[in-house]
Amino acid sequence: MNELAGGVIAIGIPQLLLSTGFVVVVGIISLRLALGLEKDLAIATVRTYLQLIALGLVLRWVFGIDSWILVIAILLFMMGAAAQSIIKRAPDAPRGILGSSMITMLLTGFTVTFAVTGLVVQVEPWYEARYVIPIAGMVLGNSMNGIALSLERTFADLDARADEVLALVALGATPWEAAAPSVRVAIRAGLIPTINAMAAAGIVFIPGMMTGQVLAGADPLAASFYQIVIMLMVSAATAIGAVLAVMLSYRRRFSAEGVYLERGYRDE
Amino acid sequence: MAVEPVLLAEEIRFVGPASIGSPVVLDGVRFAVGAGEVVDIGGPSGAGKTTLLRALARLLPDATGHLALRGVSADEIAAGEWRRRVTLLPQKAALRPGTVRENLLLPWTLKLRGEEMPPADGALAEALADVALGDIALERDGSRLSVGQAARLALARTVLTRPEVLLLDEPDAALDDDSAAQVAQMTARFAAEGGAVVRVRHQRIDGHATRRLRLSDGNLSEVSA
Repeated sequence: MNELAGGVIAIGIPQLLLSTGFVVVVGIISLRLALGLEKDLAIATVRTYLQLIALGLVLRWVFGIDSWILVIAILLFMMGAAAQSIIKRAPDAPRGILGSSMITMLLTGFTVTFAVTGLVVQVEPWYEARYVIPIAGMVLGNSMNGIALSLERTFADLDARADEVLALVALGATPWEAAAPSVRVAIRAGLIPTINAMAAAGIVFIPGMMTGQVLAGADPLAASFYQIVIMLMVSAATAIGAVLAVMLSYRRRFSAEGVYLERGYRDE
Repeated sequence: MAVEPVLLAEEIRFVGPASIGSPVVLDGVRFAVGAGEVVDIGGPSGAGKTTLLRALARLLPDATGHLALRGVSADEIAAGEWRRRVTLLPQKAALRPGTVRENLLLPWTLKLRGEEMPPADGALAEALADVALGDIALERDGSRLSVGQAARLALARTVLTRPEVLLLDEPDAALDDDSAAQVAQMTARFAAEGGAVVRVRHQRIDGHATRRLRLSDGNLSEVSA
């Protein structure tokens, strides 16, 4: 058995290499079956090593410094990265939604993270990095998927409904009246994975945070309470974020006079 | 003294998107339609007929030129209000999921008509009969209508809103001869009651147009009878 580190069985270099061995096996299978995944798999493995070790080192450093300015700076960086990622994942969305995507991540990220750390967990001091950063990561990471899905769906659905949108605007509909059916479908689509995850939690899978806490030696019941708080807050963040992101951006697909800019009538 | 046109368009210019080489689609078009008129616009495919109708309805981003409704410049009329008075019926009838009644009453669910009383069932049934859909029940699911029926339902809906200018893009393209004749008569009646109608059509002359124009090379020209 490996030595214990703070109540956790520590993983050393041999264990890391062993798990890497499994990925090598997958690479060999990919080669044999001509799946063409070897390169992606190799890059992804190297990135996993580099990014997570870097994260570990940064967090270790941040936890040691105990500065609220540093914590806020890291949160801002995370939110910027999340906003960028949302745009990449919504290729049908209009250009120039970085601003609204950033506003969405800032509002949702700060509100939900500090609601959890301040009101629910009651962390002292309020910026305690050990709590704030991982919780923000979970809130941002999970809500980002739902927000990206909602945005992508809004603009894909508007394009699919372009004839109907034109007919509605021709009858005098405002951009909101013409876009509302797409917005509803899209927000629903963005929330379904989160709702499904809530429904399956504990039965189909043990959520990541709870797994981590149990592995770290926490009482499973206490870990489940943490996980409940996180899942509820993530679903709230996804809902608020999806609504905000879509509401702040759908109007960009309409001209100043309220005409839907279908393909061919917009800068692409 | 010349009668003032209901809708006047001058110097309408529209250049297509750069992605297809920025073609000049409308090159300073001048157009006027008066009350009681049914004006047909013909011309080769791709000449810009649909584009012109969209420009007249203020549904064409980036079009330039001057539009006026009963002598009042478009600059002084909000876009939504303009479209309430100058209404385009696009070629593709786009119905919402729901019954025939819900589709007919859709314009009265919009903010623009928030104050207006929606028409009663009797008026809806009459409007359906006018477009040869008298046998369709108001409770029927709109999504189960054929393409031709959907096109007529959309026409009935637009006419029910009583615009001053009715812009019809290929109103009889999806219709059989009998339905097309009935729709044409309804359109003529609309004009006879003081409305102005502009139709883009490819079909043979149906005898209801008071004037015929041809759009080619970005400009309109009169077609002699």
